[in-house]
Amino acid sequence: MENSKQFVHKGVVYSITTLLLIPILATFIYSLSSSWGATILPDGFTFKWYSSLLTDPRFLDAFGRSLFICIASLLLATLLVLPMIFVVFYYYPKLDKVMNLLILLPFAVPPVVSSVGLLQLYANSSFQLVGTPWILIGTYFTIALPFMYRAIANSFTAINLKDLIDAAHLLGATTTKAFLLIILPNLKKGLLASLFLSFSFLLGEFVFANILVGTRYETLQIYLYNMRQTSGHFTSALVMTYFAFIFLSTWLASRLTRGNNQ
Amino acid sequence: MNTDRIVQQDQRKQDIKKTRVFSKLANYKPILWFIPFAFFFYLFQIAPMIWVFINSFVYEGKWSLENYHEIFNSSFILQSFHNSVWISFWSSLIGLLIAALLVSSLRHLNSRIKEAIIAFTNMSSNFAGVPLAFAFIIILGTNGAVTLLLKQWGIIEDFNLYSRWGLLTLYIYFQIPLGALLLYPAFDALKKDAYEAAALLGASSFRYWIKIGFPILSPALLGTFIILFANAIGAYASVYALTSGNYNMVTIRVASLVSGDLFLEPNLAAAISVVLMLLLAFITAINQWLISRSYYGK
Amino acid sequence: MSYVKINSLSKRFGDVTVFEDIEFNIEKGEFVTLLGPSGCGKSTLLRTLAGLDKANAGQICVDGVDITNVSPQHREIGMVFQSYALFPNMTVEDNVFFGLKMKGSSKKEAKVNLQKMLTLVELNGKEKFYPHELSGGQRQRVALARALIVKPRILLLDEPLSALDAKIRKNLRQQILDIQKELNLTTIFVTHDQEEAMLMSDRIFLMNKGEIIQQGNPVEIYTKPANEFVASFMGNYNLISGETAKHWFNINTTSPKVAIRPESIYIKEAGRHYADHISSPKSAKIISHQLLGNIIRYNLKVENEVLTVDLLNRSSERLMPKGSEIELLFNLNEIQPVGT
Repeated sequence: MENSKQFVHKGVVYSITTLLLIPILATFIYSLSSSWGATILPDGFTFKWYSSLLTDPRFLDAFGRSLFICIASLLLATLLVLPMIFVVFYYYPKLDKVMNLLILLPFAVPPVVSSVGLLQLYANSSFQLVGTPWILIGTYFTIALPFMYRAIANSFTAINLKDLIDAAHLLGATTTKAFLLIILPNLKKGLLASLFLSFSFLLGEFVFANILVGTRYETLQIYLYNMRQTSGHFTSALVMTYFAFIFLSTWLASRLTRGNNQ
Repeated sequence: MNTDRIVQQDQRKQDIKKTRVFSKLANYKPILWFIPFAFFFYLFQIAPMIWVFINSFVYEGKWSLENYHEIFNSSFILQSFHNSVWISFWSSLIGLLIAALLVSSLRHLNSRIKEAIIAFTNMSSNFAGVPLAFAFIIILGTNGAVTLLLKQWGIIEDFNLYSRWGLLTLYIYFQIPLGALLLYPAFDALKKDAYEAAALLGASSFRYWIKIGFPILSPALLGTFIILFANAIGAYASVYALTSGNYNMVTIRVASLVSGDLFLEPNLAAAISVVLMLLLAFITAINQWLISRSYYGK
Repeated sequence: MSYVKINSLSKRFGDVTVFEDIEFNIEKGEFVTLLGPSGCGKSTLLRTLAGLDKANAGQICVDGVDITNVSPQHREIGMVFQSYALFPNMTVEDNVFFGLKMKGSSKKEAKVNLQKMLTLVELNGKEKFYPHELSGGQRQRVALARALIVKPRILLLDEPLSALDAKIRKNLRQQILDIQKELNLTTIFVTHDQEEAMLMSDRIFLMNKGEIIQQGNPVEIYTKPANEFVASFMGNYNLISGETAKHWFNINTTSPKVAIRPESIYIKEAGRHYADHISSPKSAKIISHQLLGNIIRYNLKVENEVLTVDLLNRSSERLMPKGSEIELLFNLNEIQPVGT
C-alpha cells in the first residue's frame, strides 16, 4: 500500500513538472530545428538560429545594454541598501518592522501603475529621465529592494550584531572598520545570493523597459519583443539564450543560499 | 550646608541636561545613512504613487471626480476590469490548487528529487513575460505542435491561444511555480507526527486533511492566493506580448493611456490605477478577515 | 589610592532608571563580582564601565584618570561576552590578533605574542580553526585570549560561563582565576550565580534594582547578610520575625527579622555534649527531607514557622523519616538580625 501511494505521489509530481517543462522544451527544440511548420515534429536540426543570433550586432548591443542596466541598478541598490540595513539593525532595530512594510510597496504596486506616475514626473522636467537608461536603473533599484532587504536582513539576524560590534569597539576598531572587517564578510553570501536572484528578475523585466524607455534604449526584452515578427526559430534561440542566463544566475543564487545553511 | 547641596544638585542636573542634548545629537548621526536610500526610494517609488493618487482627482486642470465618473460610465474600461478579475481569480485558484497538489506530493519523495524539483520551480518562476508568451505561441499557437497534436487526437476542435481561455492557460502556467515556491515552507511546517497521531486515533487520511491538514494550511493558502492574484492582475508583459495589447485588460488600458499612439490621458490612467489598487486592497482585506477567522489565526 | 574609582554613576534608558548613584572602588589586581538577579542593572553597569553605554551622570576613574568620556576604543578595557562574540568570518588566530591589528601591528611582529596567548588559554594547534568548529568552552577561551592580548587595564567578564554546561564551566572558572592571578589583572565579573561569585571573588558587590545592596568579601556577604534580600539571595537562610526570635532565643532585637543559616541549627542527639552557645531547644516535626549528596536538608515545623536545616550526610541511618518528632538546638552566635 505504501508503494502504491508513493507511486501516486511520484505520478503527480512528475506530470506537473512535465507540464511546466513542455513550453521550455518545445522552445528549445524549436530553436534547434531547421523548420517546423504545420507538423507535429520538426523537419531537421540546425544551429544556424543560434549562430545568426550570436552574430547579430543588434542582439549583442541589446544584451550589453541589459547587462549594463542590471549591474548598475544592483550596484546602486547595494550601495543604498547595505548601509541602510546596518543602521536599522544596529541603531534602530524597531525600524525593521516599518521597513518590512515599506519594501512591500514595490510588490504591491503593479509596475504599470508606478510607470504612470514615473512617466509624468520625469518626462517633461528639465532633467529628462524618460527614454534614458537612468530611469530604469532607478526603478530597478525598487524592484531589487524587497529581495535584497529580506536576504541581507536574514544574514543580519543570523549574527549577534550588537555583541560583535561591541567587541570590535573594545579592541580598538571604529564602527566603520568593524562593519567592513567583521559584518560585511558575514553578509557576503546572503548579499550575493540576493544579487543573483535580483539579476534574474531584472534581466526579464519588460513593463518599465517598454513603457518608460521602449526602443530609445533597446534592452534584451525590448529586442525580444521587437523580433516577434521575424522567424519563430530565431526568437526561440533568443529565448533559450536568455533562459540560459536566468538558469545560471538562479543556480548560483540557490547554491549560495544552500551553502549558507550549512 | 543645605544650600551647598542644592547648588550641587542643580549643577548636576544641568550637567545631565547637557549630556542629554549632546548624546541626542550624536544619536541622530546614523540616520544620515538613510538619506540616500530614502531619496531614491522616494523618487522612484513614493513620488510616482503620490502623483497617481493626486492626479486621479484632476480633470482638465481642476479638482474633479470626472476621471472616476468616466471609468464607471465606460463599458470598455469596466470590461477590462471584468476580464482582469476573471483571469486573475481563476488562474490564481487553479494555479494554487495545482501548486498545492505538487507540494503535498513532493513531501513524500526523497530529498534529492525534492531539491531538484524545488530548484526547477525556482527557475521556471522566472520563465514569464515575453519569453513565455513566445513559447506559448510556438506550442499552442495556431500551428503549434501541441495544438496540432491535440487536434489530431480529436481532443479539441480548435484552440485560440489569443482568447480568454488561451490567456487563462498562460496565466495558470506562470502561477504554478510561484504558488509552489510560496507553499513549500507552509507544507514543511506540517509535521508527520500530527498525521501519525491522527492515524493512531483512528482518523482516515481524508478526515486528517479536513480536520487537521487544511485548517493548519488555510492561512498559507489564503495568503498565497492573494499574492498570486496580485501577481496576475498586475501582469502586463505576457498579455501584451501575446496579443500585442489587443486583449482588453486593466494593465493594457492603463499602459495605452500613457504610452499609446492615440489618446494620452494620464489622469484617467491614474484613476484606473487607483481603482485597481483599491480592488487589491479590498481583496487583501477580505483575505485578512478570512485568515483571522481561520482556526490557525486564533 | 584605588585603581578604579566609580563616583555616583547613573544610567537611564529614556525614563527608566537602570542604576543611580553607584559608588565603589576596586584595587589593582582585585577580582570583584557584580552579583544580582537578572534585570538588576549589573550588565548595564559593566557596559557603562566599558564605554559601550554612556553614563547619564557620574564619573569613572582608572589609575587616577577620568575616563568617563573616553570612547570604548581608547579605554584599554577588555571584555568577554556571554555570547562569545567571536568574529565568525575569522580563524582563531585572526580573532585573537584583531586587537593588535587595530593598533597597527603586523602578524609577523605579533607571532610570539599570539603563541603565548594561545598557550595561556591552551588552544595551541587550533590557530586555523573557525569559531563554529570549536566547542563552547574553546570559543570562550578564544574570546578570553582576544581580550587579553592587548593587555587591558581592566578585564570585564559578562556572564562568560552562563552558556556552558556544568563540567566545562567548572574547568573554565578555574582557568580564568589562574590567569587572572598570574597576570595580576583587575577583573570585574558579572553573574547571577551566587555560588560562582563566592568561589571566584575577592569581593562581591551584591546588586538589586539598580543599587549596590551590600559589598564585602564572600565570607562577610554570606555570614552577615545586610538585609532580607541578601539573606534570601545568598543561601537558604531561614527568616523568622524579630518577635518570634525574642521569644525563642531570649534576645533583645529591634530588627523586624532575623536570619539563621540552615547549618547553624542542630538536631539534638542524645548523649552528645553541645557548647554553651548552642542552646534554646525547640521541639519540631519533620515535614520532608531532600538528599543533596553530602548534605541532608530537612524541612521542619516549629510552632508556626517552617525551618530548613542542613545536616552533613555522615551515614544513612541518620536519615529521619517524615513525621519524626525531634528537638532542635540553635547556634546563638550565628543569629543575624536583618533589615528589610
